Amino acid sequence: MKKLFLVLVVLLNPLFLVGCWDRIEINDIAVVTGLGIDQKNEKTIELTAEMYIPKALGGGGGGSGGGGGPQTYVRIGEGNTIADAISNLQEKIPREVFWGQTKVIVIGEKLAKEGIRVTLDFLTRHTEPRLRAHVFVAKGKAKDVLALHPPLERSPSEVLRELAKMKILMDVTLMNLLQMLSGDAQAAAIPMVHILPPQKGMEPLQTIAYINQTAIFRKDKMVGQISDKLTRGVLWFRNEIKLSNITIKPKEGKGYVSSTLLRANSQLIPKIEGGKWRITLKAVTEDDVIVNGSNLNLMNPKFIQMLEKDLEKEIEHRLTQTLEKVQKEMKVDILGFSEEFQRKYPKEWKKVKKNWDEIFPSVEVTYDIKAFIRRPGMSTTPQGLPEDEVKQK
Amino acid sequence: MNKQKVENQEDPLSSDLNQNIHVLRSIYENCSDLVFRPFVIGGKTKAFLIYIEGLCNIEEMNASVLSPLMDESAAKYDTLNELLENKITVSKAKEVKTSTECINYLSIGSPLLLLENESIGFAFGLAKWEKRSVEEPTAETVIRGPREGFTESLGVNTSLLRRKIRSPKLKMNPMSIGRYTQTEVIVAFMDGIMDPTLFEEVTKRLKRIDIAGILESGYIEELIEDNPFSPFPQILSTERPDVAVSSLLEGRVVILVDGTPFALIAPTTLYSLLQSSEDYYQRFLIGTAIRWLRFVFVLISLLLPSLYVAVSTFHHEMVPTTLLLSMASSREQVPFPAVIEALVMEITFEALREAGIRLPKQVGAAVSIVGALVIGQAAVQAGIISAPMVMVVAITGIASFTLPRYTAGIALRMLRFPIMILAGTLGLLGVMLGLIFIVIHLCALRSFGVPYLSPMAPMKFRDMKDVLIRAPLWMLNTRPHLTGKFNKYRQAPHQKPDPSQGD
Repeated sequence: MKKLFLVLVVLLNPLFLVGCWDRIEINDIAVVTGLGIDQKNEKTIELTAEMYIPKALGGGGGGSGGGGGPQTYVRIGEGNTIADAISNLQEKIPREVFWGQTKVIVIGEKLAKEGIRVTLDFLTRHTEPRLRAHVFVAKGKAKDVLALHPPLERSPSEVLRELAKMKILMDVTLMNLLQMLSGDAQAAAIPMVHILPPQKGMEPLQTIAYINQTAIFRKDKMVGQISDKLTRGVLWFRNEIKLSNITIKPKEGKGYVSSTLLRANSQLIPKIEGGKWRITLKAVTEDDVIVNGSNLNLMNPKFIQMLEKDLEKEIEHRLTQTLEKVQKEMKVDILGFSEEFQRKYPKEWKKVKKNWDEIFPSVEVTYDIKAFIRRPGMSTTPQGLPEDEVKQK
Repeated sequence: MNKQKVENQEDPLSSDLNQNIHVLRSIYENCSDLVFRPFVIGGKTKAFLIYIEGLCNIEEMNASVLSPLMDESAAKYDTLNELLENKITVSKAKEVKTSTECINYLSIGSPLLLLENESIGFAFGLAKWEKRSVEEPTAETVIRGPREGFTESLGVNTSLLRRKIRSPKLKMNPMSIGRYTQTEVIVAFMDGIMDPTLFEEVTKRLKRIDIAGILESGYIEELIEDNPFSPFPQILSTERPDVAVSSLLEGRVVILVDGTPFALIAPTTLYSLLQSSEDYYQRFLIGTAIRWLRFVFVLISLLLPSLYVAVSTFHHEMVPTTLLLSMASSREQVPFPAVIEALVMEITFEALREAGIRLPKQVGAAVSIVGALVIGQAAVQAGIISAPMVMVVAITGIASFTLPRYTAGIALRMLRFPIMILAGTLGLLGVMLGLIFIVIHLCALRSFGVPYLSPMAPMKFRDMKDVLIRAPLWMLNTRPHLTGKFNKYRQAPHQKPDPSQGD
């Protein structure tokens, strides 16, 4: 009996000694789903937290559902440093700010140009934010992006997250970003979002921000941006391309043919020959035809082969454009060349590591692209054309 | 045996009938249910027929004992044995020589015949009392399987076992326990399958019992189990003869107790608490699937409320965002912390369950309406309890009833509360702490020498075919190894049916 009592005391002690110190009920936290960071002026940093209003979600007691009102709201904290901004933000929110569900981080353009290292340090050092959060750069101010009321999704951050997950353009998580920046190339690419002008008749805030460009970073500073077309070129180099429609104009057959990507796989093969640094992009892609605007009968294998050749040329053309901008103009290695050289030629790499920025623009790129058209779609002949106008052979 | 008897009368019967009657009358003083019927055999010998009212078959007694003996023709036989051989038409008759024997026979319902000038009497096997017929056990129902269950009378129960196992290897060893009730207890086992030391251990523990009375097998269970402080039952109890027989055939011991339909099975393991007899009557794939369902729901019934409490008060980042938001929105108006909410709901549920068992059938419906409507819906609508919590409690309640053994379900339901408090104070850390405590305790438990977690701890791969899965019958060639010597093979190998097997 004495032993039992002792065991009970031992068991109860931890509960009273340490129990509950970090206990916090769900209805006492403010769930931050999107985080925006802006440089207001030279001294001040603005921290924007996009939070859900649980009351507006309906469900639960009362039965008074949210109805039409917005489901999220934003609060902005200001301060000289991020830490100051957080305390300032907490002053304005009656519940404890909780970063554990922050899945979207938007960085204002101005801050991106000033440098994001300190921001990244905060995001990784703090225990709550996730390394898997998606990172974006906002054209203009991040706080404007998070203040929107999207008509379809529940919150602007949800819109951005879903868009990034589709991987039409870049999708960069905090962890990817840290890896890119700590690599030898000292370059990073982050998707850039624009605010879509609202539809006619809609409230000015009833719109979304969408990914349209890619921001290019050298070290931790943004140096420029590239368009969506060129971004896809970058994705080809990085073997990240998932969705792409390519339109070609075949020599024969008056009109164009569009195809969509089924699968693509690309590989960078580095080579150093006589002091010349070369890279070969080897890509294999399988495609579907989705539009046949020409009068070619695609049941003919000859035409398919021709289309495949044209497709290869078109892809190569796009990639050259990308290279022109990224390699020759911006001179930032976001294509992943450095890693390939580092892997295959570690000794040579060590020597040039310091002045890679000078070597990178001179790397010669050759292409080895194989395109296959797997399926011509549900129709055989071009639709809506009389039979005698269709080119059979 | 006799040490447990309070009144010790080893005195032999005397040849004086009046003396014998006097002794019996004084022993049974103030016992109005004892009947002394004086009569004269064949008009010359004085005799007494003694019986306890309601315990014997009066018609049979009149027809086979009283009327032939009182007949004139009985006069020509002088000795008791001659009378027995010629006149009494009862198949079961036993000689009694002492008044102790007289009491023993009277108390089990045998009428007693005592004669003038004879120092022996006769007890006739004419016991008959009101008993329940064999019915379907209500606590262990099955869809497919025998519908008969044990009853309160020991004779019926042993006959149910004997009807299933015809082999004389089925041994039944009687003993009586209880100072006053003298309850008959039978230890049944299969000779040649069971480890003899197990029987020794069981009888040794049974003989240790010295209490006033045994009203239910639970008394015996509590007095012979290995760890009396554990919440887990270390002896299986069942109402089903088929469960008892399958345990016998695996080399276990079955203890039948007079006056209760619950037989005890020892030794037992945690996993046999999770097995239903129906697992073996259904197709093995279904049996396996249902067994896994039970494993999952055991964990749910033990942990779900605690996990909910821990995650919603300490680990908000673990929940998918959308789920967290709907949890948050339903908790918006709730005034209590999640732990209190969970405790209140769980205690209410346990109260409802208990009330449901005790209530007279007529008011049962009213209680379920009150339970479902008032506590469920109204509490949510009033904003006192959040809707997810009601769901958690409901799922947990259902989960604890998926266990085929009610006793095991109760153990898990009880352990849920300390874990809930741990979860509310230490979060998932507390849940793990509680779980580790339980596992350590289970590892230390034994049931008649068999580790409670076997065949998982200690690992016995061969026995796992009947724990992790329900292997098809033609693969269950070996018996589980309990302790010591065991009869390894229970059937012939290579019995997998196949069209090419025919010969």
